[in-house]
Amino acid sequence: MTDTADNIIVATDVEKYYNNGALHALKTVNTTVKRGEVVVIVGPSGSGKSTLLRTLNQLETIESGTIIVDGVDMYDRNTNINKLRENVGMVFQGFNLFPHKTALENVMLAPLKVAKRPLAEVTEHARELMYKVGLADRMENYPSQLSGGQMQRVAIARALAMRPDIMLFDEPTSALDPEMVGEVLDVMKSLAAEGMTMVVVTHEMGFAREVADRVLFMEEGALLVDASPDVFFDTPPHTRLKQFLSKIL
Amino acid sequence: MHAKQKTWLWNAVFVGIVFALSYSVYFASQKIEYNWRWERVVPYIINTDAQEITAPGDGTVEIDERSHQLTLVVDGETTPFVVKEYTELQVSDGDLIFEGDTLATLEQWQIGPLIDGLIVTIEISVYSLIIALVLGLVIGLMRISANPLLRNMAILYIEVIRGTPLLVQIFIMYFFIGTVMDLERFTAGVIALSVFTGAYVAEIIRSGIQSIPVGQMEAARSLGMSYPKAMTFIILPQAFKRTLPPMAGQFINLIKDSSLVSVISITDLTKAGREVVSGSFAPFEVWFTVALLYLVLTSALSWAIQRLEKRLSASD
Ligand SMILES: Nc1ncnc2c1ncn2[C@@H]1O[C@H](COP(=O)(O)OP(=O)(O)O)[C@@H](O)[C@H]1O
Ligand SMILES: [Mg+2]
Repeated sequence: MTDTADNIIVATDVEKYYNNGALHALKTVNTTVKRGEVVVIVGPSGSGKSTLLRTLNQLETIESGTIIVDGVDMYDRNTNINKLRENVGMVFQGFNLFPHKTALENVMLAPLKVAKRPLAEVTEHARELMYKVGLADRMENYPSQLSGGQMQRVAIARALAMRPDIMLFDEPTSALDPEMVGEVLDVMKSLAAEGMTMVVVTHEMGFAREVADRVLFMEEGALLVDASPDVFFDTPPHTRLKQFLSKIL
Repeated sequence: MHAKQKTWLWNAVFVGIVFALSYSVYFASQKIEYNWRWERVVPYIINTDAQEITAPGDGTVEIDERSHQLTLVVDGETTPFVVKEYTELQVSDGDLIFEGDTLATLEQWQIGPLIDGLIVTIEISVYSLIIALVLGLVIGLMRISANPLLRNMAILYIEVIRGTPLLVQIFIMYFFIGTVMDLERFTAGVIALSVFTGAYVAEIIRSGIQSIPVGQMEAARSLGMSYPKAMTFIILPQAFKRTLPPMAGQFINLIKDSSLVSVISITDLTKAGREVVSGSFAPFEVWFTVALLYLVLTSALSWAIQRLEKRLSASD
């Protein structure tokens, strides 16, 4: 296989503006993600991490450049974006669980209504996932009856229920009380161990060092560093990264 | 203990005030020497009087006791006049009868014109409620659409309807649109009320949808749901719950507003009230009764919606 066939995400010359061009949120971003790779994005607040992540499932559109996900050009006129999103799960900082559905229903909804898989199969798969994220005893609870850590784990199960090839995480532990961060990171680690392709925006440097294959550093919309965790943390190849790390570590 | 005593006191004061108000109504009517005759209203609600069955023409009576049937062979007619339901006969077999004579009496409860009017009011309200809900949903969704054409059409509709009096809209619907499209009174009334209420429902639905955090739509879309699916399964069910209280208010208004269709001669509860007043010589009693009947309708509706709200609050 050629190198490009192994790249499940290829972003080329991505430009993104907000406020009618007044804010240049992504400045000629180029990056690739290999199948099975875990890529962590770090950077100061407002540097464009979320924006970059959200362009990968088109929750944000881009002004120019191309993004190819699993061989599909996202901005091709003929691309069915809903179909593409089925293959790209997303986990949000604020969980965004559906409050009017139980935990299990949250997990089952998209497979039933979008993928139109049979109820018996969906139910079994959803139960498996709830078990996997350690919430076998919480299936019938509504989100309002769950802790933050539990909600985030349901949200991960919900995204996994569509059997995606790629998972995007936007600061999945930032809204959690410290004692709940671990349980969510553990689920993410086991997911990485299973070979899931993951793009993770996080401030958990321990997770980045332990789990990431590559770590990216963004500042003011530009991708400044793309390195292995060892290089990234031990011999930071950019002065801005050095400054950033000295502030947070 | 102290707080409880105070609650008691205030409740007592409340009851006292209600009594005082009732008495002042009575006192005011005494002053204008009004005689309360509530019994006069009763026949207009349920008529328990025996009705007389009269002969449609001259002829001869035949009575068959066994099959409980009275037959009047009317002179010069081939088909006889047959009475099967009666309580008491006023004639006997073989009697010669003249037109207008009482043949028999029938003791049967009959609903009076006020109840007929109430039923019409309920019919108009139910039809209008359903149409207004559908219309409001469509317009509400158009109102938040990204498409400027749909959005502007929705804004135009909402502004025009909310900026003009319902009474005028009813006249326009009946005398202009109704004439052009050959609508019946009832249809014209229902359309006018639906279109009017729909504008308010659209705004309620719009604000309900906009009160749902954007993260809900993003989560739904990120799972591969199309916009309509996300609306159907995620946004609208949540918005629906939040819109119930203002929606209840709007539908109670609809029931009350329906009284305005009496101006295009639809015999709803209000029109029935007006007609009964002139026949009963008991205007105060009739209008109090009409008010009470409206109150029963609106209370029933708000009770039903409150129950629905309770049931939907399971996930809170
Ligand atoms: N929907 C939006 N409209 C306007 N500006 C936005 C929007 N989303 C993000 N931005 C701006 O774009 C920049 C990058 O934001 P974001 O990607 O959220 O940063 P990060 O996730 O790294 O904190 C920030 O300056 C932010 O204010
Ligand atoms: Mg962010």
